Amino acid sequence: MPNAVAIKVLVVDDQNSVRQMTRMTLEEIGFRHIHEAEHGKQAMEIASLQPLDLIISDFNMPEMDGLGLLRAVRGHPVVRKVPFILLTGRGDKELVVKAAQAGVNNYLIKPFTATTLREKIEQVMGKLS
Amino acid sequence: MASLDQLKQTFFEECNEALQQIEAGLTEIREGHASDDTVNAVFRAVHSVKGGAGIFGFEALVGFAHVFETLLDGVRRGSLTATPETIDVLLSASDVLSDLVQMSQAGEAVPAGFGNECRTALEHIIEHDQKGAEDDDSPAPAEFEGIDFTPVPVDFTPVPAETEVADGPHSYAITFRPKRDMLKKSNEPLYILRNLRNLGTLDLSAQLDCLPALADLETDRPYIWWTGTLQTAATRAQIDEIFEFVVDDCDLEIVDTAPPLAPAAEPEFASAPVPAMPEEKSVAAPPAPPPDKAPPTATPADAGEPAAAARSPSAKPAATTTRIELERIDRVVNMVGELVIAQAMLGQIVQDLPEGTSGRLSQVLEEVIHHTRELKDSVMSMRAQPVGSVFQRMPRLVRELLAKTAKKVRLEMVGETTEVDRSIIERLGDPLTHIIRNSVDHGIESPADRLAAGKSEEGIIRLSAEHRGGRIVIEIKDDGAGINSDRVLKKAREKGLVSADATLTEDEISNLIMLPGFSTAETVSDISGRGVGMDVVRSNIQDIGGRISLKSERGRGMTIQLALPLTLAVMDGMVIKTGQQTYVMPLSSIVECLRPARSEVSNLIGTRGMLQLRGEFVPLVHLGDLLEISSTAGESGERVVIITDAGEGTRFGLVVDELCGHQQVVIKSIEESYGSVPGIAAATILGNGRVAFILDVEKLSDLAVNSPVGTALSANTASAAKFALT
Repeated sequence: MPNAVAIKVLVVDDQNSVRQMTRMTLEEIGFRHIHEAEHGKQAMEIASLQPLDLIISDFNMPEMDGLGLLRAVRGHPVVRKVPFILLTGRGDKELVVKAAQAGVNNYLIKPFTATTLREKIEQVMGKLS
Repeated sequence: MASLDQLKQTFFEECNEALQQIEAGLTEIREGHASDDTVNAVFRAVHSVKGGAGIFGFEALVGFAHVFETLLDGVRRGSLTATPETIDVLLSASDVLSDLVQMSQAGEAVPAGFGNECRTALEHIIEHDQKGAEDDDSPAPAEFEGIDFTPVPVDFTPVPAETEVADGPHSYAITFRPKRDMLKKSNEPLYILRNLRNLGTLDLSAQLDCLPALADLETDRPYIWWTGTLQTAATRAQIDEIFEFVVDDCDLEIVDTAPPLAPAAEPEFASAPVPAMPEEKSVAAPPAPPPDKAPPTATPADAGEPAAAARSPSAKPAATTTRIELERIDRVVNMVGELVIAQAMLGQIVQDLPEGTSGRLSQVLEEVIHHTRELKDSVMSMRAQPVGSVFQRMPRLVRELLAKTAKKVRLEMVGETTEVDRSIIERLGDPLTHIIRNSVDHGIESPADRLAAGKSEEGIIRLSAEHRGGRIVIEIKDDGAGINSDRVLKKAREKGLVSADATLTEDEISNLIMLPGFSTAETVSDISGRGVGMDVVRSNIQDIGGRISLKSERGRGMTIQLALPLTLAVMDGMVIKTGQQTYVMPLSSIVECLRPARSEVSNLIGTRGMLQLRGEFVPLVHLGDLLEISSTAGESGERVVIITDAGEGTRFGLVVDELCGHQQVVIKSIEESYGSVPGIAAATILGNGRVAFILDVEKLSDLAVNSPVGTALSANTASAAKFALT
């Protein structure tokens, strides 16, 4: 049973307000090690330098969208196994299919509550203590 | 950690940026030069607004944004065409969205049914969407659990190490275009190309189309770019590695032209290597495929992602920005101002030292002055904002104005990225709004009149901004009817602004409309508002240290030019003395300084004279007379004449007693304590610690005319008359 406090998570979203809200929600659940990135490139930098246990990324971002980031992560020799949860504002079937093919572990629709976020994370990582 | 209110603030700031993007994007689409990227950008902006609104609980915003977004999605997928009618609906949707954002921000309750007309129009168009219809999600973006997706738990079983196998030699089409800063970051393109060459057979050609003339060449800027092919057995990762450090500083395009399997490689801009689709099959725990579709290997949608289009050189790099409270920047600006004053005092002390002792001290002081100047420039650039933020309001303004008339007008905007000090941006809005209103209301004729005059039905207003000679020049040019000079002159005579027998040129008449109390509008139209005349615009512009000039061509149109200073707080000035008083003159208004011989000065009336300068006559004005100070040098004494440029080609020679050298001065406003004093723009503290007034050159030229000598002069000489109307 993974301990939320010990999990290192990376939140990727180009909107600062949304990033902060996600952070607050994660902290509510009990997470303490929360990294942030504004876009895909920054995310990859952090991912290749820091040990990460979970990536939560928005889909809608300029230059490299969440799907692109997912693929980049899955293709990177060091971080490719990190669990990846995709956030999206649209229940877009096509997107979910593509994400599934690319190896996403779960997806979440914005806006979400702390309960839902926790559920989704637990579906991937097991019950959080 | 930020409070919820602070986050909401941040969200609204993001919304404003998004709204600007939407406006700009839709305008591009309407004018027909939008790329796929533009539509995507607009979609993303609306989507972002919706997402944030959902999180912060602004339901009305979410609902409307959702419909807006759905339509945009259809357009970007190609299942809906962006017809002119559709674009009009999209534009009004952008206006509604903007209003909803404002209301949400102000905490106002959204009136029931607000924006319904537009919403219905959007939904109507969406209904005709063929392809997207079945796949579309429910109209309300509720908690959507309808997609079958099995979450993939983390799989800790070891996976065989993925080796990137290069399957035989590939051929890659490469386009490498260094951006402006690459050389400054010590990255030499040639080294990179050499490394590339080591990987295989490289066939590149240098593109020289961006090379300027030798005289214009900046040595620290790259101009050459390359396209070509690379045949190599190396892996894609190895190729990307070569560009790893310069990825941010160039436009790079590497396309696999002979791929082993179906999909073409996507254009690279990430430093992490991204393998082509087929290799992802080996990734841990393939997810359960959704029941409706069997996942195709190389989906057409993926391969269709834009492959070969060369990225335009003007693509914005991913900016690293941060938010700072304005107050903090202003404090730094103030500190730099104080630093400049202190440094001037230091300069004074050094000057006063006995001969020969200051040597090294002067040198170091020079360095300090140099650094302070650079510091000042950097700090001022922090306050710089692109004029685009003010310009962006204009298209909507024009749309609203046009909705009330039958006229047809197109607004062109150029130079939106030109940067201006923030405080100027804030004060630019009203004057611009008024000028454009005038253009639409009075300038551009009705379509019928335009056709009769041999013009196209649609009038054009061109709004441009550029840096020119140390100033920002903003121009508003329309191809309307221009100013009716007969009517203007008549009105001016009626109001006693111009004497009955004065003869004025076209330009002089045009400039009359900026005199206070002038208005030829017979009725106060709803559009132009009441009581706000061009004189208010002029004083607004002058208050921020700028100048305004007008040029009208009867029947062809009117051009209004605003010349604004680049920065406000620190300026280069010339210290001058007249009588016992010390003043500072803006260096930018000084054309030249001379000590004329008596023979070059001809007296016409009283002590007023004319200076003969290289064949031209320049009217002379004594500063002492203007400001009512007696000067120390006698009549026959040698005076200094400063040829002054008061704007719009008006020149006069300002006569003073002494020139005391030039220095950077910090502009301190005195208006709060003393109100507006004609002829004085502000004050400063000199190196010797004393206060000196900074002269307002344009007002001085006005003063020169209004003195009794001046009016007599203006009745007679043409050049002085021009003088009178500046």
